[in-house]
Amino acid sequence: MRAEPQDGDLVAMTLRGHPEAFATLVERYDRAVYHLAYRTLHDVEEARDVTQEAFFKAFRSLRTFKTGAKFSTWIFAITYHACCDRLSRRKHYSGEELPERADAAPGPEQRVISLDEASRLRAAIDALPEKYRTVVTLFHLQGKQYDEIASVLGLPMGTVKTHLFRAKEQLRRLLSGMEVTE
Amino acid sequence: MTMDELERAILELPLEEPPEGLRASILLATAYRPAPAFSFVELATLGALGAVGLWLVVQLILGGGSLFVQTLGTIGSALSHTLSNGAVVAWLAAGGATALWLTLFNGSHPLLVASHRSERSAGR
Repeated sequence: MRAEPQDGDLVAMTLRGHPEAFATLVERYDRAVYHLAYRTLHDVEEARDVTQEAFFKAFRSLRTFKTGAKFSTWIFAITYHACCDRLSRRKHYSGEELPERADAAPGPEQRVISLDEASRLRAAIDALPEKYRTVVTLFHLQGKQYDEIASVLGLPMGTVKTHLFRAKEQLRRLLSGMEVTE
Repeated sequence: MTMDELERAILELPLEEPPEGLRASILLATAYRPAPAFSFVELATLGALGAVGLWLVVQLILGGGSLFVQTLGTIGSALSHTLSNGAVVAWLAAGGATALWLTLFNGSHPLLVASHRSERSAGR
């Protein structure tokens, strides 16, 4: 039985003139990249555009990918930065604060009630401030690889852990129907 | 809900379903992007040949025609004289055959390269 090629091998193959190897990377990560974009932007069209943009940028600048680095972290970082650009453009055009809670009605507590477990959790994550929501989304995608999450966000690992801890505290309170104070 | 249970619940959340056709559009823009008709080297060679051709035409128009024809004639007669020698032709054939034989081992055989190219463009 042949082992699945590692991400690094697929990058190397693409660089050696086999662009079809990049297709495997797209198949591995397109869903996760779209998830990150959608959970950050909350807009299907924008998330779609950002996902395409991220893979296109990655493909064009594949030579800058450092050997030994994780492709997932790299593509998530590209996606996250593209999302930040979109969010700051939204802020620029609307003249408002970043949409920490753009969807004001109905309130998160109200939405959390009467939904099934996964939907309740998702609604509670949506109710978090943007900086916590992104950390939770990356935790969902990368697990307890705090150093990788820190690389994506460009934050110190301690800050990531603090954000994640506070996010989980807020989620617990939200899920148990308690008042959330930021 | 404990912290561990919450962490587990987060990790078990299903991923968002991407819109239909997203993967195909990414692949068309990256891995399966149609190959350009000519590579950079081919384009540069064609450009250089075109420039030389244009320069020759200009020279002919400017009155260097007779000299050009005379030079071509000299080159032609030298070539035909050389190629009429059986030993030269035999050595050229031997050299060409050896070069072709060697390309079978490094993957640059002209026929193999051409078929690989057509396979790749058909696959897209």
